[in-house]
Amino acid sequence: MTGWLVFAGKEAREIVRTWRIWVLPGIVLLFAITGPLIARFTPELVGALVGNNLGGLNVPPPTYADAYLQWTKNLSQIVVIALIIVYGSLVSGEVRSGTAVLVLTKPLSRNAMIAVKAIVHSLFVSAVVIVGAMVTWGLTWATFGQAPAGPLWRATAAFLVLAVLFVCLMTLLSVVVSSPAGAAGAGLGVYVALAIAAIWKPLDEYSPAALTSQPASLAGGHDVTATWPVISALVIATGCVVLAGTMFRRQDL
Amino acid sequence: MTAAVEISGLTKSYGEARAIDGLDLVVQEGSIFGFLGPNGAGKTTTVRILTGLAHPTSGTVRVLGATVRAGDAVGADVGYLPDVPGFYNWMTATEFLRFAGNLFGIPKPQLESRVATLLDLAGLTGVKTRIGGYSRGMKQRLGIAQALINAPRLLLLDEPTSALDPIGRRDVLEMLATLRGRTTVFFSTHILADVDRVCDTVAILDHGRLLVQAPMEKLKSRYRAHKLVVEVTSGADELIARIEAQPWATAVARAMNGAIEVTVSDMGAAQHALPALVAAGGLGLSRLEAGEVQLEEVFVDLVGANRR
Repeated sequence: MTGWLVFAGKEAREIVRTWRIWVLPGIVLLFAITGPLIARFTPELVGALVGNNLGGLNVPPPTYADAYLQWTKNLSQIVVIALIIVYGSLVSGEVRSGTAVLVLTKPLSRNAMIAVKAIVHSLFVSAVVIVGAMVTWGLTWATFGQAPAGPLWRATAAFLVLAVLFVCLMTLLSVVVSSPAGAAGAGLGVYVALAIAAIWKPLDEYSPAALTSQPASLAGGHDVTATWPVISALVIATGCVVLAGTMFRRQDL
Repeated sequence: MTAAVEISGLTKSYGEARAIDGLDLVVQEGSIFGFLGPNGAGKTTTVRILTGLAHPTSGTVRVLGATVRAGDAVGADVGYLPDVPGFYNWMTATEFLRFAGNLFGIPKPQLESRVATLLDLAGLTGVKTRIGGYSRGMKQRLGIAQALINAPRLLLLDEPTSALDPIGRRDVLEMLATLRGRTTVFFSTHILADVDRVCDTVAILDHGRLLVQAPMEKLKSRYRAHKLVVEVTSGADELIARIEAQPWATAVARAMNGAIEVTVSDMGAAQHALPALVAAGGLGLSRLEAGEVQLEEVFVDLVGANRR
């Protein structure tokens, strides 16, 4: 257990002391801040862009729901892609730089290294998204005068499950594919496949595919049951980590 | 004496290519063991299998009495320095040594004391910059320090002096010499002078096969028994021509100091015949003795013979 904690401490310090502290938090905070503002000023922006060309069409006055929708769309479409790219070298980076060799010739198993990376980075992504949601919540309240907690947090929670799934998937892909670009490409392929799979109703009800679209529905205040997609996503995420550990043990370093 | 490393029937193949081919090796505990071979001989692959980093194709490997299983963490009594050590560039040397020590679960007071000692040994005391800004030599010295953080019973070093300047090399070799008897040092290198200087036992590997394993002195004396040095007052060229015509002379060379170095196949016949050849030529004999053998000559002879 000592090795797990020591390596987890290293991962946490590495996040704080390298580029990792800037990229995902920067992207998430940017969307957290701009989401409510863009939602609030969309009618003015549209008006300024098209002038009188819309004729009698009126853009409805924006509400808090538009700010929430903006936030969840950004999470599901841009943040998840950033996450896939950032974690394309989660394990292969350590192998390529030679640090894995030094660490794994000390009392730390390969399984432990994989599990710690998946856990620490899932927690990091969760913390970043939760902070972003709080910023969105506060700014939505300041901009629209109301910001009910339920829709925002349900949508954010559904996205977090998807984010954890992709952190675990990228852990596996960064073991299997030594090239960070290759692993990221494979991750993006899985994301697109999930988004397409959600069109088929059984998959949309029971598989993680539903989590690519459900955050937006939840943010809009729709009554959506996400139990099976969440359970299946967490089972698959665990499976990815176990498989990553197994495959990593079989590799020559 | 017990064995610190036991390798039996080890092979490692990469597709059709065989990096290690039926290697058997025993390293006694407490020795400083030089693992020699030209580039591509299979030294690094062997060390990686010893540390569990690579999977053998067949054969067994035991380290400090325990069977090594590839993919599993090695024991807490082993220290390892890879040929090109990789560090977290955002850490300082002190942070990395603490991190390595904590992975071994070393208690804090003991760890702090070891970190200070090893930083001093690595010449990195007071260096506050991050490892990313270090020279290759500094990284190599830090690599040796981290390999010693757990005061290992077995120290596996893969080309530890290759990136060091002459002074750094001397310091590392002297440090290794101080470990004699307490820590088994398995020292892979292609720098013959380093092995000659500190190792008490040597193995020479080529094309994944073990050519020889023996205590250093025994190996040299085996070759010394085939070499004679002759010095004459004049007429050395004439004498060389006569020696070359003898059936027991396998090679004749002129040393830098003018002496004649004769490699012989039959020492008894050569010792009887050489003074007679000198006398027959009317030459004055200044010196006739068994030649000093350098490890380099043994290495070149063995590896060269293996490639012929």
